[in-house]
Amino acid sequence: MKRRFLGNKLAYMKSINFVILAIVLLLTLFGFVVLYSISIPLKVPFFYKTVGKQLIWWVISVFVLIMVLFVKKKFLFDNAYFLYAGGLFLLIIPFAFGLKVSETYRWIKLGTMTIQPSEFAKVFYVLGVAKYLSGENVAIDSPKSVFIPLFMAAIPFIVIFNQPDLSTALLFILTLVPMLFWAGVRTYYIFLLVAPVLSVVTAFNFYTFFAWVIVLLVILYLNSQNIILAVSMGIVNFSLGFLTPFIWNNLKPYQQKRILAMFNVWEDPQGVGYQVIQSQTAIGSGGLFGKGFGKGTQTHLKFLPQQHNDFVFSVVGEEYGFIGVIVVLLLYLVLLLLILNAAYKAKDRFSSLVMIGAISFLFLHIFINIGVTAGLLPVTGLSLPFLSYGGSFLLTCYIFIGLVVNLNRRL
Amino acid sequence: MICAQNNVAPGRKNVFRGVILIFFIVLVVRFYVLQIVQYGRYVELAESNRIRIVPISAPRGNIYDRNGNILVYNESQYNLNIIPYEITGAGGDSILEKLSTIIKLPISEIKYRMRKNWRGIFFPATICEDIDFNVLTRVEEHKLEFPGVLFTYVPTRAYTDRVRASHVIGYLREIDRNSLIKFKKYGYRWGDLIGWRGVERVYETILRGKDGYDYLQVDAHGKVLGELPERKKILPRPGNDLFLTIDMELQRYCEEVLRDTHGVVILMNADNGEIISLVSKPDYDLSLFSGVVEPEEWNKLTTNPEKPLFNRATQGLYPPGSVFKLITLIAALSEGIVDTNWTVNCHGYYKLGRRYFRCWKWSGHGTVDPVEAVAVSCNVFFYTLVRKVDIDTWYRYARLFGFGEATGIDLPAEEEGLVPNRKFLDEKYGEGGWTEGMKLNLAIGQGDLLVTPVQMVKFAAILATNGKIVQPHLAMMYYDRIKERYVHFVPEVDSITVVPENVWRILRKGMYEVVNKKYGTGYLAKLKDVTLYGKTGTAQNPLGEPHSWFIGFTDTGDEKVAIAVIIEHGGSGGSNAAVVARKVLEHYYRLKAEVVRK
Repeated sequence: MKRRFLGNKLAYMKSINFVILAIVLLLTLFGFVVLYSISIPLKVPFFYKTVGKQLIWWVISVFVLIMVLFVKKKFLFDNAYFLYAGGLFLLIIPFAFGLKVSETYRWIKLGTMTIQPSEFAKVFYVLGVAKYLSGENVAIDSPKSVFIPLFMAAIPFIVIFNQPDLSTALLFILTLVPMLFWAGVRTYYIFLLVAPVLSVVTAFNFYTFFAWVIVLLVILYLNSQNIILAVSMGIVNFSLGFLTPFIWNNLKPYQQKRILAMFNVWEDPQGVGYQVIQSQTAIGSGGLFGKGFGKGTQTHLKFLPQQHNDFVFSVVGEEYGFIGVIVVLLLYLVLLLLILNAAYKAKDRFSSLVMIGAISFLFLHIFINIGVTAGLLPVTGLSLPFLSYGGSFLLTCYIFIGLVVNLNRRL
Repeated sequence: MICAQNNVAPGRKNVFRGVILIFFIVLVVRFYVLQIVQYGRYVELAESNRIRIVPISAPRGNIYDRNGNILVYNESQYNLNIIPYEITGAGGDSILEKLSTIIKLPISEIKYRMRKNWRGIFFPATICEDIDFNVLTRVEEHKLEFPGVLFTYVPTRAYTDRVRASHVIGYLREIDRNSLIKFKKYGYRWGDLIGWRGVERVYETILRGKDGYDYLQVDAHGKVLGELPERKKILPRPGNDLFLTIDMELQRYCEEVLRDTHGVVILMNADNGEIISLVSKPDYDLSLFSGVVEPEEWNKLTTNPEKPLFNRATQGLYPPGSVFKLITLIAALSEGIVDTNWTVNCHGYYKLGRRYFRCWKWSGHGTVDPVEAVAVSCNVFFYTLVRKVDIDTWYRYARLFGFGEATGIDLPAEEEGLVPNRKFLDEKYGEGGWTEGMKLNLAIGQGDLLVTPVQMVKFAAILATNGKIVQPHLAMMYYDRIKERYVHFVPEVDSITVVPENVWRILRKGMYEVVNKKYGTGYLAKLKDVTLYGKTGTAQNPLGEPHSWFIGFTDTGDEKVAIAVIIEHGGSGGSNAAVVARKVLEHYYRLKAEVVRK
């Protein structure tokens, strides 16, 4: 009896994908090295505390990850909607008794730690959508298969948008696209989902909007079997394009500023572009080999408040150079491809979709954050998985990895 | 488990792979461009583009008197600062050595001050304040040898030497920890000065400007290359100028009159509450506070037994003495307890049980009516009167005239005073533990009663206007720099309606006789050209000679001026305080006549 139990344990251990865990561990360790390096030239105890705090969060994260590894797949599948509802509840908490930090409701306080519940909501949201799309009765070919997940994304979108945190809110919509695509939804429907975004973006210029409307009409015409859907989508996109200028005028000035800074970084006098200039200078001056651990002399960044968070990757670029950047990017790439492979090989669609959800969130965070530091994207405030300072986000990433490894077990 | 099988088409998997790869390639290319292609450019930027953020202090608003005479303005002071980053590297110690010989401070002290004033590695930390001109020129001449050492211009407070007005204006101090936590959101930082007393505190938000920032580009040697092209200098916005209701000339004269005494003079426009003069002696020299106060100076001020920092006008608590007899009279007449013809025969004492309560005139006043009782301040009249008035009615009237509550004057830490009521007396002496004798004392303004001089001037103003209650105030208006216009302060106004017209008439008649009849207790206050109505008070106190009170008002038709004077240990109210009141009012009308002549 005892031997068999041990045998089970061994089999279980063997079934764990240790390569994924090893990559995550490597990235996390690298994150600690960078955070520590930031703390060297500043003789301020506070920065030691950020490393220390992150270490505490990491211990918690590892502990939670191990717990997640032992959760039964059946439990996750059966309770996915409850978990989704729980995630929504988490989102509302900061409004009820959260901290108001610079006019935003994103955090709640537990003892000395501040927690950002919208991070955890990502996990529960992925579980909910994955369950819906993997149900046996779902007719993946009907428009309904797009609208119900869209509804599931809209609720967190609206709540987080009101925190207000535009970029995190948009993530919930953006991650929906790969999950729908993976589930086999018709490309046409996904196009209809993405179309409003393009309508909004192009609406800032008359000619781009005009060109876009023509493309839209052509595609709608080619797929006009469902005439009601095609016509209504046409009207929706058209009116969105017209409304956009009004909505833009109602955005918070700092949101406008951040979006505008994307277009002309070097002439922004208000200081949003300033962070990006400093970040680019840090990265560029790193060269091929970098300046070495703790030697980032492009120290302007050292007084930017976000360097341990949003701009952590510019420290990587400065101190470890192009080689360091390539190594970190490769680690991320391998991690994502490994999970993609696991998603492809998964026996059931639920596991597969959860993994795709995890990939989507991780990928968007990685690409957007690094893109920001390199001056490719506007400053969004999205963290870099495993490297950025921030406990709630680290824990969320670890839960995602835990789910992936758990569902990847070949048992 | 009702879950569909996973049957993803390989094509879709390849789409995923492709998208991920494309985005990663975009990133790699971008970093290749930044770090390999444009490497030289960014290295140059990183080397030359060091940024200094130099805060530019905003001057506080000036303070003027009602005629536009300047009372408080700003002077320049130069501080020596070090940017910590510049001296942490190699060669930093030699910079410090050279600096320490010039400014004559040991290196350890410089380092200590740098840590103390730390705001960030790129923020200048103040090392020396108000450095003299020699040091400034010596360091400026050898600028290249002192990278990271720079001067900042700081405006400091300067005060007119024509008047002290210390309790009105008040002083600034370095912000303390509690205030910093409370006001951090308004942009206060360590080392900032904040209004601590007087109008400097009350109108802090109006007087304080908004600091600006200068973003400078410096090379690797610390030489300033110029301003940063990407960031424009943020200019400081000076604070708003404040105009007080004080008349500087009269204020100066009042300070002169009260010199070497302990006491208060307040002169107020009874119609609108504008305080024309407010002097509390002893006071202090505001120029001690122009910059950061040396600890020795501060200790000297706080431990001075004369208590110069203590504003007697708003914080001094005194028994009101005979002045309060007016309250007793108003209560009795207004409630119809006695009529205006009611008389008392004063033999020089009043007997209650086995106790004798003496009138101040031992031989007695004979038969006195209300008007004469006020004029001669007959104790026996009021002893007899208050027996008919119950304590609750008396208390109600005392509160009606603003006693026992802050007047709301725009000075910090105002005292409320104390008007005992039934509950207070029950608590203090036990229920029934206090006797009618207690009431007799209260009727003539003794016992547990405590008032502040500013309450007394407010009381005088109410009497002058037959019941109009104005909030005494020192600020008239300020110039709003953002809206570019003057903003006037509107004080609260209320009125007393329960006192009938004939009672006001009797009071005025009595107060007229106090000053203008030979037998009146305040005859020494009589003015030559203007009619003054008044009431004297002699406040017994256990510490020695009684305090001398005088309150009064003039009514010239177009203007009513209320005055309150207290001279600590000044003897009877009819002598010291009445004389001071006369001098001050005579000077007031002399100044007014001069203005008219001009």
